[in-house]
Order: sequence, then structure tokens, then C-alpha cells
Amino acid sequence: MEHIAKNLACVLIVACILANPAAAFAQQTKNGTELVVAAAADLSTALKEISDSFEKKTGVSLKLSFGASGALTQQIQNGAPFDLFFSADMDYPRQLITAGAADGTSLYEYAVGRLVLWVPTDSALDLDHKGLKVLLDPSVKKIAIANPQHAPYGRAAVAALKHAGIYDQVADRLVLGENVSQAAQFVESGNAEAGLVPLAHAVAPGMQGKGKYWEVRADFYPPLAQGLVILSHSQHKKEAAELVEYLKTKEAAELLRKYGFTLP
Amino acid sequence: MAIDWQAFWLTLRLAITVSAVLLALGLPIAYWIAYSRWRWKFLVEAVVALPIVLPPTVLGFYVLVALGPRSPIGRWWISLTGHTLAFTFGGLVIGSIFYSLPFAVQPFAASFAGVDRKLMAASATLGASPLRTFFRVIAPLSVPGLITGTALSFAHTMGEFGVVLMVGGNIPGVTRTVSIDIFDRVEASDYVTANATALLLLVLSFSVLAVVYGLNRKAWVVGPVK
Amino acid sequence: MSDAREVETSTSSVASPSVPQAVAPGPVLEARFHHVTPVRGREFVLDVEFRAAAGFTILFGASGAGKTTLLDCVAGLAKPESGRITVANRVLFDSEQRLSLPVAKRRVGYVFQTLALFPHFSVEQNVQYGLAHLSQAERTQRSSSILQAFRISHLARRSAREISGGESQRTALARTLVTDPEVLLLDEPLAALDAATKRKIIDDLRAWNQAHRIPILYVTHSREEVFALGERVIVLDEGRIAAQGTPHEVIDAPRQETVAQLVGVENIFDAVVEAMRPERGTMTCRIAGDGGPVILETPLVRGGVGSPMRIGIRAGDILLATAPPVGLSARNVIPGRIASLEQHDVIVSARVRTRVEMEVHITLAARDSLQLVPGKEVWLVIKTHSCHLMQS
Repeated sequence: MEHIAKNLACVLIVACILANPAAAFAQQTKNGTELVVAAAADLSTALKEISDSFEKKTGVSLKLSFGASGALTQQIQNGAPFDLFFSADMDYPRQLITAGAADGTSLYEYAVGRLVLWVPTDSALDLDHKGLKVLLDPSVKKIAIANPQHAPYGRAAVAALKHAGIYDQVADRLVLGENVSQAAQFVESGNAEAGLVPLAHAVAPGMQGKGKYWEVRADFYPPLAQGLVILSHSQHKKEAAELVEYLKTKEAAELLRKYGFTLP
Repeated sequence: MAIDWQAFWLTLRLAITVSAVLLALGLPIAYWIAYSRWRWKFLVEAVVALPIVLPPTVLGFYVLVALGPRSPIGRWWISLTGHTLAFTFGGLVIGSIFYSLPFAVQPFAASFAGVDRKLMAASATLGASPLRTFFRVIAPLSVPGLITGTALSFAHTMGEFGVVLMVGGNIPGVTRTVSIDIFDRVEASDYVTANATALLLLVLSFSVLAVVYGLNRKAWVVGPVK
Repeated sequence: MSDAREVETSTSSVASPSVPQAVAPGPVLEARFHHVTPVRGREFVLDVEFRAAAGFTILFGASGAGKTTLLDCVAGLAKPESGRITVANRVLFDSEQRLSLPVAKRRVGYVFQTLALFPHFSVEQNVQYGLAHLSQAERTQRSSSILQAFRISHLARRSAREISGGESQRTALARTLVTDPEVLLLDEPLAALDAATKRKIIDDLRAWNQAHRIPILYVTHSREEVFALGERVIVLDEGRIAAQGTPHEVIDAPRQETVAQLVGVENIFDAVVEAMRPERGTMTCRIAGDGGPVILETPLVRGGVGSPMRIGIRAGDILLATAPPVGLSARNVIPGRIASLEQHDVIVSARVRTRVEMEVHITLAARDSLQLVPGKEVWLVIKTHSCHLMQS
């Protein structure tokens, strides 16, 4: 009997830990605090570098969780214990503020994202001359975008295609990635011949040489103003505010620009 | 609230296709596992059982990258069919076949192994070939295991998510299964539809399983004579 | 149907008069092989060489002697390490030529100890199972005639799971025999049956044997069945053939302890019925002997004056007296002389020469107190019911 109870307890504990990834992270590290950050997938390269330099400066380390902004919003609304949320738009943070999950005063537009058309290096498509119209080429069987239902870049992609007047013709060739990273990965693995992904992905060090990109004109889609918020239930609001301040510095601005973001 | 009936129909088609293929594919594998006396048989059994412990993401990864257009197998596939494995119903079927393989093979093999060897020997002495022995003696006496295996692979495929998420591309009518649909709804905060869809899937799966297990109990239990 | 008459006895033995068989025409099974089975750490070696002519060859031995393995090798269910097995001119197995005919092609009928009836088929479907290569009409005709011969026609549609032990045995036999095998293997088919059923099935088998002369290997560890059916006996002991021959030969000479132990009936004689006394339930039989007959009173069995019989008497059932006994209930008192005395453990085996030679078992104490020595005059006392009658 005792044996069973012990086993049951172990199973439950393990289940709890697995179900709540942030809980395992939100602890005091040896040196100082750790901030748990939820971030839109397009930041997956930029934020890592920012996190490293922030930690060198302040001793506060960041634990990063990337995903589609909509997905992350859902998790936060259901109690996921993050300290900060970097969205790929402004609406999701506002949604959280309305729901009381985030501090209204902490809303800050930290960057403006850019959408690009991205194809593998060996693609024969002539991006520079045709731009989005290359998607009409019969060799393009699959076009990867992030799911517009919950990813701001996905919505931007759809808007751009509509603006270019080709949405209806390419709609049946769209494949939806869970988030922009998956969309980029579809293209990178060759399963999709082209994709609409963040500029941040196309210029990331790991991606250089793997593909070529063409910047979609900014007026083709609503601007991707990306905002962040500090979450209400954070236990480390002080450190979170420090991170926000850091983002306003020149150093951070350089890093963001390096990854293709423009500053508001 | 608008339930995506297309997703249901697609998921049903996927589950039926996969169960049917696994019935055909699983029988010879299970037969070999049940009756072979090769000393390294346990390795094959381990490989068959792998999908139980591997996360579906591993299978998804292989379909996407290792079998993708940049790999030799992927290129061969494209030359054969004209398109990639990913983003197609066929790709889902293949991924699901590996994913649900042990759920078919293990009950099949257990059932075969439970058939009295003497019956098989008797069949042989009466002039029946191994094939005839299989269809006339082994299979009829293994029906409970066959039904269980098929029902399990059906149910398992109905609920499949990880592989589809990785390689499906969420294309309506082609790869947007019910599980993906529910996930999407949740992410879009449409809890009402998500709830309705999930409930419907639950009821559908339960009904199918209940019918299968109910029939299984009554008609097919046989044992050795005396 | 054979014209051997039905024999009813009051004992449990199934009796048979023996008819010495000439080598019968028909295909002959010849086999020699060496088979090794790993059994619980050790190895069990079966090494045999024998010939089985058409008719019944009894395979006799204790449990674990290798009888079933031998049958399995002939059937192809087990593969010997080396050897050669042929039936008539067909080679079933030859290790030198690397030839091993698959089971389904050997035309060897095999009735297993557990019968192995197909539980999901009816009796009729079971019987027809081996006839798939025939036309529907022929199949029906053959199966119904054998069902009739074995008296199970009324069970044709019954599921194999719902019939009794005796009916199952007959179904299993019918199923195998209907395929017209070239060799028949029967593994203890009569174990766990009552005497009446056993007898009926033995009659069926004998009738079948008359009509289809093929080698039949019949495994049993029942002595009664040996005498009931045996034209030839092969005694198997620990994977080797301890003795082969007619039941008579195997038991009388050359004397090997194992055979005698296995068989347990040390004295067997051919006799002829002299007189019948139905009102007393006895009859007298005459055994031809040296310088005159030995007359024994035995239990009554159905037969007639002049019917040949075989009488078996266990050595342990015979009493020894050093003076002519008086006032005894036993009906058979035979004078004789001790030819030899041999001690085995705590038993003394005395060979007593009367007009026929008999083996008698007595205790050490008895030997000593009676002061038995070779040459001593003695009287053998045999109860009527110690005489076991057997019918062939």
C-alpha cells in the first residue's frame, strides 16, 4: 500500500513538473535572478544575443520560450508563469492587459518587424525582378506562412498576398506553420519552395547562405509593430523593468537592427 | 461556432486507411514475430515497439527532413509521385503507419502465439500449406486479437497530433485533422468550438471502440478442444 | 469387417488371441535417424533404426522415452540431425542428400495425443479438412462414408467443441484416415477412455487396417494395448530401441531388465480353448508344452472351443510351494522344478521348468525359508484371475 502511494506521489510530481515548464525554471539561480520570458518566434535569434549581453551586464539570466504570439497569449491567459511577453504585434499584449494578466503601464513597442519572401539558395526563382509574383510560377508547389489565426506574421503574409492581388491564385498552395519558425523550416528543408517569413529569420547567422530573400514592401501589409508587456503575476518585476530599460539602450538597438528589426 | 466537418471526414479517412494498411502489413510481421525462433528476434520486436516510446515529433522529423526533398529517399519519392511526403494525405498515412504499427502488430502477434501449435501441426499433416493453415486455422482463431489490433490502430490514428503538426502544414481537407483543428481553435481563443469539436471526437471514438469491443466479446472466443 | 470375435472380459484388460503374422504386403516404413533435443540443460538423444511393415507396429516405452519425438521425426514436425526415412520408394528425409520433405507433402497421417481437433469447425468440417484438393462431390462422399464407418454421422454438424471424449477420438481418427495416408501415426489415442469405448475404437482400427494395409506406428505405454493390437513391438527406452519383435519375442527373450520392467508381464503363452464353463464364468485353455500340455483354468472370455488365445501371467502373481498344496482355492497347480534363481534387489526371480517355463517372483525371505535351490521340486499355484487373456 505504502509502495503504491509513494509511486503515485512520484508520478503526480513528475506530471506537474512536465505540465508546467516555467515552474521548473522559475527559481533562484546561484548568482541572481532568472527571468522567464515568452517571446514571438521571430525573435528566436535576436533575443538570444540580447539575453547574453544583458546577463553579462546585470547578472540576471533569461530563460526564453519561443512560439506563435497567439499560442503564447493563450498559455499566459491560462496561467503560464512567465515574467515578460514579447509579442509580434500590439494586439495580443493589449488582450492580456484587458484580461488583467499584464501590467498596462509596461506596454512598450520594442521593434518593428519586416516581412520577406524567402526561397532556398538553389531556387531558380527571380525574386529581384518579380517580387511576390514569383509565387505564381508553376514550380512553386507549396508556400509556407505562419498560421494567420494566431501568428501576426501570418496575418501580414495574407495581407501582402491580397495586396499583390495574388492571394486567390495561391491560396490552395499555402501550408501553415505553427509559428514563423516552423514556416521557415518548411522552406529550409525544401518541402516548401517558398515562404513568407520574418526578416529576422532570413538574416539570422544560421540562415545565411541557406536562402535568398526579398523584402516585401512595407505598404503591402499593416506594420508589424511588436510590443512587450510585463505580466501581472511576475515575481521579478524589478528585474523585468531592467530588461525593458536595457532594450532602450544603444547596444540593444544595434542588436535588434542587426537582426533586421527597425526601431519605432 | 462552426464545426469543421471537413476535418472530421479527413480524420476518419486517415484512420480507416491506416488501419486497413496496418491489417495487411501487420499480419506478416506479426506472424513472423509469433512463430520465428531466430535468436535475434528480440531486436525486431524492439524496433516494432519503438513508436510507442518515441515522441511523434521524431517521426515527424524523419518525414520532414530525413525523408524530405533533400534526401535520396525523398527525391526518389518526388520522382515517383511528383510531390513531397510532407503536406500530403499520403505523407500523413505513411507517418501514421509507423506511429500506429505496434498497436496493430502486438495484439496480432499475441493472438497468433496463443493458437495451439498442435492445431497448426495437425493442419500440416493433413496436407495444408502454411498459407492455408494461416487462413483456415490461425486467423479464425485469432479474430479477437485481429479486431483489437485494428481497433487500436484506428483509435490511435484518430487521435494523432504530433506527427500531423510537424508535417501536415494544416491544409484544410488534406492535412487539417480534427486534433489540429482543436489546437487551432484553442490558440485563437475560440473555446466554444474547441469544446464542441473535442466532445464530438470523444463521442465518435468511444462509440466506434464500444461497438468493436462489444462485438469482439460475443462471437469470437474459441479455445482448444478438450 | 474382420472376423475376429468381440472379446468381453471381466478384468480391465483388452484381450486378443495372437496370430503370428507373415510379413504383410504393402508399403514399408524404413527409418534410421539421430535426433537431439535440448531438454532442461541436458540433451535428449533419440537414436533409432527400425522397419515397420504394413499393419500395427506398437511403439512401447515409459514416458519420456522418446516415442512422441520419434513420431514427430517421421511426420516431419521434428528434424533429425542425420538419418534417412523412407516409405515404400518415397524418401521423406535424407540428411546426406539434404532432403527433407515438408510436412504437408509427406502423406503421413498423425493423430496427436491431444487430438487437436479444430475447435471452430464442425465434425464434418474437421473430417473434410484434408480433402480440399478433391471435388465437392468426392469430398462429401468420402467424409460421409467414413463418418458412417466410425458411427459419428449423427454428429456431422455438431461443433467439435461439443462432443464427448470417445466421439472426439473417432473424429480425430476419421479426419486423419479419410485422407488415405501412406503411413499412420497414432500417439496414445486411447488414453483416458473407458474400456468399452477403447474396445470399439480398436475394432474400428483393426477393420480399417484390414482394408488399407499401411504401416501404422501406434504409441502406447499400456501393456494391454500392446497385446490387443501388436503385430510387432518396438520397445523404446531413453531414446534407444531396447527390443523389437513380436510381443511374444520381445517379452521372452533375450531378457533385458528394461523390457521386462516396462512390460510387466513375464509369462506369455499361446493357448487354445479347450472347454467353456459359462455357468461358472471360467474356461480351460491348453498350452502346448514339453512332453505334454499345461492346462489352465482362466476367466471366461467370449470365444469358442478351439479358439486360439494368448495368456499372460505376471511373475509376481504366481505362488510357489515346496509340497503339493491342499485345500487351496486356486484352481491351477502345476508341478515343476527350479531351473535357476536370480536375485534382483529384494525380489528373487525363479525360473521354474514345468512343461512350459515360467518365471516366478518371490521375496528373499521366502527363498530362504523354503530353502530354494536350483533343482528343487516345487509346485506353482496360479489363481484363475491371474491369467490374463488377450485377443489379437
